[in-house]
Amino acid sequence: MRPPAPEHFTSRLRSPAVAARVGTWLGIAFGLCFLTGVYSHVAQLPDPWIALPTRPSWFYRVTQGLHVTAGVASVPLLLVKLWSVYPHLFTRPPRARRDLLLHGLERASIGVLVAAAVFQLVTGIANSAQWYPWAFSFRATHYAIGWVAIGALVIHIAVKLPTIQQALTSDIDDAALDRPAMSASGGLSRRGLVRTTWVAAGLAVLATAGSTVPALRRVSVLGVRSGDGPQGVPVNKSARAAGVLESAVSPDFRLVVAHGDLSVSLTSADLAEMPQTTADLPIACVEGWSASATWTGVRVRALLDLVGAPVGVPVTVTSLQEHGPYRATILPGNFAADDLTLLALRLDGEPLDIDHGFPCRLIAPNRPGVLQTKWVTRLEVSA
Amino acid sequence: MTTPRRSSTPPLRSPLEQRRGDPGVRLRIVLIACGVLAAAYGAWSLLGEDPRDLLDAALWLAGGVVLHDFVLAPLVLVLALAVRRWLPEAWRTPVVVATIVLGSTTLVAIPVLGRFGARPDNPSLLDRPYVAGWLALLALGLLAVAGHALAQRRRATRTSRRSDGADPGR
Repeated sequence: MRPPAPEHFTSRLRSPAVAARVGTWLGIAFGLCFLTGVYSHVAQLPDPWIALPTRPSWFYRVTQGLHVTAGVASVPLLLVKLWSVYPHLFTRPPRARRDLLLHGLERASIGVLVAAAVFQLVTGIANSAQWYPWAFSFRATHYAIGWVAIGALVIHIAVKLPTIQQALTSDIDDAALDRPAMSASGGLSRRGLVRTTWVAAGLAVLATAGSTVPALRRVSVLGVRSGDGPQGVPVNKSARAAGVLESAVSPDFRLVVAHGDLSVSLTSADLAEMPQTTADLPIACVEGWSASATWTGVRVRALLDLVGAPVGVPVTVTSLQEHGPYRATILPGNFAADDLTLLALRLDGEPLDIDHGFPCRLIAPNRPGVLQTKWVTRLEVSA
Repeated sequence: MTTPRRSSTPPLRSPLEQRRGDPGVRLRIVLIACGVLAAAYGAWSLLGEDPRDLLDAALWLAGGVVLHDFVLAPLVLVLALAVRRWLPEAWRTPVVVATIVLGSTTLVAIPVLGRFGARPDNPSLLDRPYVAGWLALLALGLLAVAGHALAQRRRATRTSRRSDGADPGR
């Protein structure tokens, strides 16, 4: 059996006119994923090289929701884009050595682009459903391949720029850029295929985005979360998974606030007697789901004042949970100083559910959910 | 574009050589350099990872390409042939449209349909009846296809009857 050749593909739909139009939106979606992804990566760094703002408090909720939504929309866009250029996979390499080198480089850059693009969508969508069928670290690898994908995409756009310009400035049915073999007509038109792609992207978004857009909850039949949970708020890591079922409800529980040699030890009752602040703040998870809730508790700033910590210094927040990369996290100075950064004791007026971090949890504006540490037992400022 | 051309994708080499001073070419070279830098940074940032994890990531990277190019794409080709061969003309376009829309949504839904990440200790995760939701989407799609095809057929018979009357010689 001989391998297929580009001239065996005769559909008029497999045209640069289609590829450039779908590719434009795919490029925009990947650009959005990249920017929001880098933002999320920086927000999760223990010691970010720039101070991220604490306001607006919903900002991370929006960027991370956009990240996952743009990724989901990219699935149909990428599939149709790849379908429209599939014949080029079977292009024979040129004979001349010089052409061969450029041809090889371009093919290699496209191979890297396709591999990275598929990898990002597959790992990202699996991660949003907390499915990890691989051994590598999701966060480090998804971040690194994100740079590879955007780099390969920029190279691809640069190489194809004249074709893209010509395709986008002429009518979609213009045959100027078509391969000579493209003769088959009838059935779906190019305009029809492009519109179908938009509908597919729209449906994929509607069917999943309810995990972060409350108005879509009823429509999003394929959303990772319905938005329900203990006290009406979903949970990412349960008390059982964190191994705190006993320590969190123990009468020996103490919150220690330390600054150099100075430290105070507080019981839950001590915390409840301090001045309380109530704030509406979202929990916005890196997996893309989010939910807003009303939290009541003690300002972190007020706790730091007990040990005379200077304003604007970073604080190490430690959880009762014994393992996991987020057992201890660093709250940057500007977040520690913010009036809305609370050590929350209550959710919607009720004591926190144990799965939401009883007896007390961190809740700060504009922070990734994994850094909103639950079951907090220690706040420490290095002297 | 001021240079209409009938050929297919112009090779990168000729415009680069012919118009090295062209601002468009310079822009493209700068873009390529930026792309190479970004991709190299991504690859470099992985260097600290465990070699076994890197091998796993490489397998997933290559696996995606192989699965798309040599499994999914040929499958779509076979499907397209089947549609052309066995489906009546009125049904083809709606079936193709529905396959694109529902097929891609189904791929997105694989992790929730399989509930692979579900955990007994966390009922707030993957807490919807996904198979029922997916079947509902499928049913809606099928209804739309059938409705469209039937409407098309009725229109076709009506116009052919009318043209029969107007042009009895045909």
